Amino acid sequence: MDFNASLTRAGTALVLAAALAGGGLFSDTATADPAPYPQKVVTLITHSSPGGGSDVFVRELSKYLGKYINATFVVENVQGGSGAKAVARVAGSPPDGSVFYATTPTYVYTSLLSKPPKTYKDLEPLANIFADSEVVFTRADSPYKTLQDVIDKAKTERGKWGAANPASLERQAAEQLKRAAGVNPAIVTHEGGGDMMLNVLNGTLDIGIGEFQEIRSQLDAGKVRVLATFNPERLPQKPDVPTVKESGYDVQLIKFRGLAGPKGLPDDVTKVWDEAIQKVLQDPDYKKRYTEEVLVAQFVPHKDYAAFVNNFAQNTEAFLKETGAIK
Amino acid sequence: MNKDGWSGLVLLALAGGYYFATGSIANSTLEDEVGAIGLPHALAVVLALIGVALFLRSLRTGRTAATDGRDEQETDVRLPRALGFLALGVVYVLILPYVGYLVSVALLIGAVAFYEGAPRRWTIPAAAIGGAVLYWAIFVKLLGVNQPVGTLFEGLL
Amino acid sequence: MTMFWDIVHLLTGTPLIPVAIMGLVWGILGGALPGISASITMALVLPFTYTMDPAMAIALLACVYIGAEYGGSIPAILIRTPGTNSSAATVIDGYELNRQGRAGEALGISLMSGVVGSLFGLAMLVLLTEPLSWLALAFTPPSYFGLGILGLSVIASMTGGSLLKGLAAAVIGLMIATVGTDPISGVTRFTFDVPDLLNGVEPVLVMVGLFAMTELMSQSGSTNVTELKESVRVRLPSLAMMNRLRRSQTIGCILGLFEGLTPGGGGSIAAFMSYNEARRWSKTPEKFGKGSEEGVAAPETANNTVASTALIPLLSFGIPSSNSTAVLLGGLLMHGLLPGPRLFEQNPQVIDSLYVGSFVAIIAQVGVGMLLLPAAVWLVNRPRPYRAGFIFALILSGIYTLNNATFDLGIALALGLVGYLMRMFGFPFLPMILGVVLGHMVESSYRRSLVLSGGDMMVFLQDPICVGLLLASTCFVVYSLTREVRDARKARLEKAEKAKLQEAHG
Repeated sequence: MDFNASLTRAGTALVLAAALAGGGLFSDTATADPAPYPQKVVTLITHSSPGGGSDVFVRELSKYLGKYINATFVVENVQGGSGAKAVARVAGSPPDGSVFYATTPTYVYTSLLSKPPKTYKDLEPLANIFADSEVVFTRADSPYKTLQDVIDKAKTERGKWGAANPASLERQAAEQLKRAAGVNPAIVTHEGGGDMMLNVLNGTLDIGIGEFQEIRSQLDAGKVRVLATFNPERLPQKPDVPTVKESGYDVQLIKFRGLAGPKGLPDDVTKVWDEAIQKVLQDPDYKKRYTEEVLVAQFVPHKDYAAFVNNFAQNTEAFLKETGAIK
Repeated sequence: MNKDGWSGLVLLALAGGYYFATGSIANSTLEDEVGAIGLPHALAVVLALIGVALFLRSLRTGRTAATDGRDEQETDVRLPRALGFLALGVVYVLILPYVGYLVSVALLIGAVAFYEGAPRRWTIPAAAIGGAVLYWAIFVKLLGVNQPVGTLFEGLL
Repeated sequence: MTMFWDIVHLLTGTPLIPVAIMGLVWGILGGALPGISASITMALVLPFTYTMDPAMAIALLACVYIGAEYGGSIPAILIRTPGTNSSAATVIDGYELNRQGRAGEALGISLMSGVVGSLFGLAMLVLLTEPLSWLALAFTPPSYFGLGILGLSVIASMTGGSLLKGLAAAVIGLMIATVGTDPISGVTRFTFDVPDLLNGVEPVLVMVGLFAMTELMSQSGSTNVTELKESVRVRLPSLAMMNRLRRSQTIGCILGLFEGLTPGGGGSIAAFMSYNEARRWSKTPEKFGKGSEEGVAAPETANNTVASTALIPLLSFGIPSSNSTAVLLGGLLMHGLLPGPRLFEQNPQVIDSLYVGSFVAIIAQVGVGMLLLPAAVWLVNRPRPYRAGFIFALILSGIYTLNNATFDLGIALALGLVGYLMRMFGFPFLPMILGVVLGHMVESSYRRSLVLSGGDMMVFLQDPICVGLLLASTCFVVYSLTREVRDARKARLEKAEKAKLQEAHG
């Protein structure tokens, strides 16, 4: 029965997509009463390659948002340039609540390092949703059991570390860890987590530094092992994984996950989102999912979020200047 | 000088311009050894060498050995016509943001049909309007692509 | 026996058959519209799968992929416009056959070759996912470099008679590929502060500009353009013909399998390489470029094979090897399915319906193709002035969907002019297209390898796959160049003979 119901819907959708493409089609299936919203279709843009951390996050989120905001959510991957392309795309869109960018620290890094025409300053932070878990992992049959093993290897011969994206928080984490441990491994950047996973699995890299979500599937299958987390505290879901700081290297990171839009978002839009995000974080189904994925809920409302992002950006800029990465 | 000679010079100029443009590539400290500028420099040099080689070869072989494709002679004669055709596309791109997708497509189909010598009858406007509506239905309605509405009409919606 | 009843249940107890056919039709339509790639076609349907049963949703997406890979060949043959990146190689002989009034035959060959490729790919997917997935893991950055070089080596046989000009075209293609954001350090290159260029130049813009725009421009005002015959009927290849195509289809299958496993290309490299290999192994290599049936069969088999084999790394590692499989991954994640070995244990019904649905779609492709193709043939058979207008408008509408940017239209028009001038001055297009397609992969894997080795070039010689691929490229270049030179000399001699004869007669 269920099959047939969904088929009829899908069939109508395909054949009569003309009439229905606008959306709102499936909103009646949601249990809660979604808040009215000025846009029918909302595009959530991610710079991550499909299957990458930010991509998974935004696809998950979009699945539950429909319950609380009366709109159809579409995810679009604007890859490359470590977010520079995505920022340019969002900054050039109308500030009517139809386009948002799923932000991570990457967009701040890219703005500072490669000075693209459009930077994080050209976007308006909307609200924060999660803090994320950045981890060090290796393949299951590698000789490294702890982070110390990896560092020790890097002391005697050339270490090979992977970072999921060029000029990103992962890259910075690798650089900081390298400095804290006084070693000089090769740091290989990739174009997204999926790209790096192959090189970790086939042993090209000693370790990979990436987001927890991206390695879940391989962790489930027992193909990779997590050595440490860059979070300030141990992950509640993985209490046996030590933090990098506990391992003796004073490096810790908070990877924020939020949304940003073009400058000049109207108040009615930001208000809907402030409420919807709080509700969606309480959604029992979603909560179960994001706990599984080792995401930590960290809501920051619109009025405080700009200051939050600016503070992060200033600290990052200071760090980059100090290390001579930028002038 | 024959065609190959000219091509050689154009390639040389292209290589020069491209090399000059590499100057604007930023120098990041997180750079690898080859760097963002490595491949572009190599490409510019290779293209310049090819340009020089083509040019020298054309001097050696002279006029007669130019190219022998019938295709090419044909394209020479029709260059102005082809440019005219391309210009219709340029006009389309220029008016698209202002008058919007529907009107631009209608004008494009009509203009091309006219330019290509369709008999001047009611069929030209009919095809233009019919085609525009068809494409609008496919791209905007069926596929949900946001083709430009046109700033002229935005106020009306 | 339970397996048999599972399949019977899928076919009768679930809406799998209509879902598969709908996906196929949607895919063919999307793939046939120029500029709308397989991945965009799939992404457009993704929101509709939202509330469907996960097993049906995944089967639907896979069938859209199969349809789109096939659909791309239709405009490639009929209007010299590759509908998707991977059908660019089909343009060469497909359009040539069309010019000779054999469009119906070419369409039939591409349809059946697509079916052959899809069936082979599906068989590999069903039977050999486990062993093949480990082949994908054997590819390290140096191996990818070797693969990219092998792809570039195909240029040697596509120089159109002048090595210098072919190389120049390839270098310009590589230059176009450097536009955008640097893959390793993230800095911008040649973007001139234009945000639209941060994305780089999409390969499909280059293909559409060079092939389609240039063709429209050169046909403008021309009187000797072959008109299609109203009576052109879509003809499936006879058994004898299928027998003759067997070799090129085998090549397409093997290369398609290979490319599907290795992330990066998404079908276009396999299509070009199998075109090339088919020519090398053909009994009638001289027909290639002048309307060879094998020249249509090989790339169309290859890109349809990829549509199934690209699912192998996706299902076994969760690693998408192309934009299209990335959309499929999105579909899996949306339904809370985590690809990887556990998917096979925990959600076997999803895997089953994916396999069975794909099979249904492949079989249905013959019928659907025979229904849709006559309409397509009729459409391109309108009087030339109108046809030109409709094709031009179709191209400009289609490529707008890439980024919703008029800037892309400008690029395509500019490349149309470049293509026209290239034709005028005797430069071949294909090397340029290969350069654009492969530039990114060659550069990033080269630099990544050197980072790994600390700048030591030996890294390329220590990787057996890389060495093998580089050796193959070298042999290939030497072989092609000697043949090209020989052919050119022969042509010159023949021409001189003819001239002499004419003089003697005159």
